[in-house]
Amino acid sequence: MQMKREELSAGATPDAIVERVTTGEVQLPSQDHAHGHGGGMESVREATYRGHHIVVHTTYRLEVDGIPVEGHMGVTNDGQVHYHAVPNLSFASAIDLVRQLIDAFPDDFKAGGHTHEHGQGS
Amino acid sequence: MAAERRNILMDETARKNYIQGLTLLKREFLGPTTADLQLPGPPTPISTYDLFVVWHHYAMETFTPPTQGDRNAAHRGPVFLPWHRFMLVLLELQLQRVLNDATAGLPYWDWAADGEEPAGAQPSSAVWNEDCMGGEGSPVTTGPFAVDPGDPASWRVRVAANVQGQLVQANRGLRRALGQNVADLPTKGDVAAALDLDEYDRPAWSTQSQGFRNRVEGWRPLAGAPGLHNRVHVWVGGDMLPSSSPNDPVFYLNHCNEDRIWAAWQATFPGSPYLPDQTAPAELRGHRIDDDMYSLLTSPVTPRQMLDPSDFYTYDDLQVS
Repeated sequence: MQMKREELSAGATPDAIVERVTTGEVQLPSQDHAHGHGGGMESVREATYRGHHIVVHTTYRLEVDGIPVEGHMGVTNDGQVHYHAVPNLSFASAIDLVRQLIDAFPDDFKAGGHTHEHGQGS
Repeated sequence: MAAERRNILMDETARKNYIQGLTLLKREFLGPTTADLQLPGPPTPISTYDLFVVWHHYAMETFTPPTQGDRNAAHRGPVFLPWHRFMLVLLELQLQRVLNDATAGLPYWDWAADGEEPAGAQPSSAVWNEDCMGGEGSPVTTGPFAVDPGDPASWRVRVAANVQGQLVQANRGLRRALGQNVADLPTKGDVAAALDLDEYDRPAWSTQSQGFRNRVEGWRPLAGAPGLHNRVHVWVGGDMLPSSSPNDPVFYLNHCNEDRIWAAWQATFPGSPYLPDQTAPAELRGHRIDDDMYSLLTSPVTPRQMLDPSDFYTYDDLQVS
């Protein structure tokens, strides 16, 4: 079922885009990670082995300079940890993951102390 | 007539059109504000270009299904390739509109060609020249996307993900750190290895799958991760690292090349279908062939509708490895 250019372009005019974005037509995911959807820093792994159902709950609590880092973090069944804010990477070590966060978000980790805020940034 | 997508280093017109079109979209404010998109801070007009940044971030924040924290509406699962094809087609339509040229195509960066060079030479590729994407830095100071502190119209990052994974308002120059996080780009051999895989995807439909999609996305082989797509993001670094990575125009050059690799794979294995089909369980909703894909800017389309893009564009060259 090939899509024709006209089919999509008719709905991609400036007026159509503005209407879709400004009328609340699209459900936007919550940005309140620490208290919201997806389980925050708890990761649940499930597997079946010889007819037994395995569930592994893992809860991470990250701090840098005593301040919590509360984005989504997970661990896959191969043991790799990942953090949503650096979506193209996974790590064998959670410590290495946090080192990468410090490098990747210089505005949130000023020299001499952690400065992150929930809100206006950069 | 469909657009033709060309190598940005081989076609001066494609390169100039891309830079001019993005500059126009970055300066175009159709009406939506940050408040419409539930971003914190005072309501601020948001450009057409930046709407795509927001879309990508929100797709990544939409877990599929919401009971788990791995697969999302655009990544870490089968929908990765059709979702990004959809995103690129929509951006291409906007480029064509502001350029008043329905044949203008997004260019691609054949990063595997640069990956054949020694690691130390890769940051010197022509793609980083002043007349192309500009160079690296925090901020980038050369090329069309360099910030000029005295010119408010120069290229500025206006929305960016923070360490908490929230999208927040910003006002700063673009950042790149070429080769700082991983030493080298993927090679043609890496691309060829992906093209050897004749299954599009397979269980567990995740970052641990052994199929073509997961190889192109870059989660496998684990020993070589980050690979292909992921590796290019990480190699460029800076603003290419977070979920707001479309802030860097290199994002689209990278994804256009992955789309080209998918097109080459489709031509190699015409009988190998997109998977999973619609009989897959509901826990794969958002990734099955007839599911709506997450769309911020238009009505949703399905993966099936993105399998044959020939009415939108073709590639000048499918020799990818």
